[in-house]
Parts: sequence; structure tokens; C-alpha cells
Amino acid sequence: MSAPEGAAGRAVLDRLSTSLALKALLAVAAAIVVLTVPAWAGDYWTRILTGVCMWAGLALAWNIIGGYAGYISFGHAAFFGIGAYATALLMQPERHWSFFLTLPVGAAAAAAVAAVVGWPTLKLRGAYFAIATWAMAEALLQLATVVDFTGGSSGLTIPVFASSAFFYYAMLLAAVLSYAISYLLLERSRFGYKVKAARDDEATARSMGIDTTRVKIQAFVLSAVIPAVFGGINAYWITFINPRSVLGAEVTDQMVVMALVGGLGHAWGPALGAAALYGVNRQFLAWFGDTTSYIAMVGVLVALVVLFLPDGLVSLSPRARRMRLVRRLIPRPRSGTGRR
Amino acid sequence: MTVLEVTDVRRAFGGIRAVAGVSFAVEPREIVGIIGPNGSGKSTLFDLVTGFHAPDGGTIRLEGRDITGRPPHRIARAGLARTFQIPGLFVNMTVRQNLLTAAVEGDWKGAPDRAEAVLEQLDIGRVADDLAGTLSGGQQRLLEFGRVLMQDARLILLDEVTAGVHPRLREIILAAVRGLHEEGRTFVVIEHDMELVRSICERVIVMDSGEIVAEGPFEAIARDRHVVEAYLGRPATT
Repeated sequence: MSAPEGAAGRAVLDRLSTSLALKALLAVAAAIVVLTVPAWAGDYWTRILTGVCMWAGLALAWNIIGGYAGYISFGHAAFFGIGAYATALLMQPERHWSFFLTLPVGAAAAAAVAAVVGWPTLKLRGAYFAIATWAMAEALLQLATVVDFTGGSSGLTIPVFASSAFFYYAMLLAAVLSYAISYLLLERSRFGYKVKAARDDEATARSMGIDTTRVKIQAFVLSAVIPAVFGGINAYWITFINPRSVLGAEVTDQMVVMALVGGLGHAWGPALGAAALYGVNRQFLAWFGDTTSYIAMVGVLVALVVLFLPDGLVSLSPRARRMRLVRRLIPRPRSGTGRR
Repeated sequence: MTVLEVTDVRRAFGGIRAVAGVSFAVEPREIVGIIGPNGSGKSTLFDLVTGFHAPDGGTIRLEGRDITGRPPHRIARAGLARTFQIPGLFVNMTVRQNLLTAAVEGDWKGAPDRAEAVLEQLDIGRVADDLAGTLSGGQQRLLEFGRVLMQDARLILLDEVTAGVHPRLREIILAAVRGLHEEGRTFVVIEHDMELVRSICERVIVMDSGEIVAEGPFEAIARDRHVVEAYLGRPATT
């Protein structure tokens, strides 16, 4: 290598190492800010950010089945509610379970329900799957309302543990784990390739040896387990649950809208959508005293996203892939190879 | 051992007999062409062999194993790869990711290196990071064929793999087919391009109305009365 080429090479290396050092510095600074929120943000903002973490994790979980697998579930409140009720029931004074032990119980129950419900319903597509999952959540809501052990419509009260910092860190950890699961399993592993292949062209995926039925059920179970964990943490946080608050359609609606607005099928887009929408929601509550205007705004926002920003907020970044999954939510009917 | 053995396979859709008692065998390292007019049952036959439709009757054996009515993913894992008449692409994944996906049930560790080799072999390296949905029709055919290369299958079914493809890309595909054939792979090829069939197929099966009406070397087939009738129609009678 000649002297000028060597100098140019060193300059490039210098620029690269400076850029890497800057990124590492920013990452460390961001981590310190995030990890010390309860120390400097005050109780109100800590609770707001706890909510952001929860909805970010829920939107990321919904994105596994909605974005990566291409199945629009309107029943994810069921899994959130299962986790909430598992924690609430097991922490009743007569059972006195440790909070931490209730979370895996809720997750396992949600996984079992998702596997049983997913096996027949994942053979449906588009609106049919959406209706079937909505019906599942509605059935669970009605069941929780009429049976005694859930406290019926009166709900359940959970022993109070009044530490905003604890719930902030619990939600933060769960949200980070949700992102890690999404990223590692859906973006970096062969499982993610299978899920996305089944989404884009199921017949072709099967022709390459992929058992799409199994893969879709696995994705559905994975996307159900995470909301159950959040449901458990949320129940302990808010100390009182009833069927409408944890199994209501509004819970699912939020997950769907946040994923759509943030970026369907993107690794971190739904978390961005959750942060933006939850922040706006709380601000509207502060300004107007209720969130009716927020609901109206969300309706307009979804329409605008579908029409003008089909890849959601992430597509504002020039590096984002333009998949436009939101426009492919209603697939064409297929028979055999789908090409007859 | 015979690679593919199809015996008296039948399939009807409603009252239409799409495949009506078809029998043939494919031996190792053969390239067998299947020709016939549109609607003659060629693609349905591929769907039956690859498990996308269950036959109403008959048996299908792959290297001696009965695969009749097995699901497509099991048949693929048994060593069979195929392309589709309309290319089946994962349009929201990049070209490179499409290739990698073809290896998820095989050698995953070596897949990235093989994907790079296939990108180079098919001359689609420039679009490796583009979404598959943005490719031209010819590039989509190349990519679909590239996935077949990634699958490492022993029997490969190609359904009009060069249809609508630029002559330069067509030559790339044909060179790859010949290369794989020399390595010992077996092919069954549906084609309307008679020049292509003549140049690569050692044996040709002619289908019409769901039945095999002729079978043999291309030169003999080209003179066969059934073939002429199937493609050109019967002479007018007075």
C-alpha cells in the first residue's frame, strides 16, 4: 500500500472508531438515564414511563403474530387478562403466593390457551382469524364475569405493594425482554425466517419443508406469553382488576393501534408507536380530563397511517424497509398452491 | 432406484378430471420434460406429486417411499424441491433472506456462504438487499430458482422456470440446471418452450386433458400425431 492510501485508510479507521465510541457513549448515557428514572423523574413521570414500558412490551408481543406472522389478532386481551387473573388469584390472602411465582403460572396458562385456540383458528385467514380471536377474548370476559372465583364483575383486589420504582423496573425488564425475544427470535434466528416465510407465501414456505401450521402456533403462543407476564405485573401494580379492565377489547385495540402506528413487522416500531400513543393519551387526559378525544384522534391517525405511512413511524427513518404489511392484511383466498 | 414413480394418479375438481390415471417413472440423473397445452393437467400433476393436492387415487413414490397424500413440507424434507408457475416469493424479505429461508430446514450454518455463492452464480448480487417484491419478473424467476439451489434437493420440479425471462437470464438458469444435472440431480420440467425442451430434456412426456398421450425422446415426440393434434388441433374434415 502506498503512503497516501495508508493515510486514507487510517483516516477511515479513525472516523469509524470515533463513530463507534460516540455511539457507545450515547448508549451508556441513555442506559444511565433509563435506569435512574425513579431517582430523578418524580412519581408522576415514573408512572407514565412505567405505562410506556408496559404498552411497548404489549405492542411488541402483538407484533409477533400481527406483524411477523401476518395474523391480525383481536383477542390478545385474553392473554393479558389470563396473566392478570393468575397473579390476582394466586396472591389472594388465603393462597399467599409470591408475586414472582405467579408470573410463570400466568404465562403457562396463556401459552396453553393460545396453543388450543391457535390450532384451529390459525387455519383461518384475514378477518376470519380476527373474528375468531375476538370471540375467544369476549368469551373469556363473559366467563370471568359470571364465575365466582374471579370475583365476577366486582373483580379482585390484590395486596398493595406501593413502590413505583419496583413496578417501573419490573415493566422495564419485561419490555426489554420482549424486545430481545422479538429481535433474537424473529430477526436473527431460523424461526423468524420460517414465521416470515409463512406470512408472505404459505404455499411456497411449505414447498421448502417448513411446517407452517406448527410455526404459526409457536408464534401465536410466543405472542400470548408476553402479555400474560405484563398482565400479572399490571394487576399487582394497579392492585384491583375486573373483567372489563383486563379482558376488555380496549386492551387489544391499544396493542393493534400502537403496532400499526409504530411499524408493523419491524423489530422496534411497535415500541415507538406505544411510546408516542401512550404519551399522547396521558397528555389528552391531563388537558381534557378524559380520553374521548384521544380515541377520535387514534381513529384519524390509523386512517392516515394506512393511507400515507403504511410502514408506520419507523419509515420516517430513511434506512427502514418499506414492507407495507398494513396493506396486505386481507390476503387473497388460496387453494392448493394458491396459483390455480 | 427409481427417483419418482407415479402410478395411476387421478384427481378431479368437481366434474373436471384434471389428472386422469397418469403413470410414469423418473430415473436418477434424468431430465424429463412435461409438455402439453394449457389446462392439460401438468401443474396439477406437480401439485399432486408435491403434496399440495391429495390424489383421488393412485400412488406416488419418491426414492421408493410412498409419499401419496403426505403434506408438502414432509415431501420437501424427503428431498424434493419445486418452483411454481407463478413465482412464489417472500415479497417482504430481501433477496438474500429469500435464499436463506430455503435453507431453514437444512444446513443453516453453511447457508450464508451458499447464499453468497448462489447470488454470484445467478448474477443477482446487486439486488441482494432489495425486497423480493421489487424485483422484475425475470429476476423473480431467478430468485425462485436460486432457492431451489439452496435446498439441496435430489429431485427438482421446475414449472415454466424460464417463462417471460430475458434470454441472458434464461441462459444463466439453463447453465445452472446443467451444472446440477452433472452433479447427479434429477429434474422434471414443465415447459412450453420447445427449443428449451429439445436442448435439455432426455425424455418428454406429453399430456392432454389430464392424460399422458405420448412419451419418448424429443425427436420422436415432435413427430407424434397426438402431440401435433394437442398443440395444433385436428385437421378440418369435410
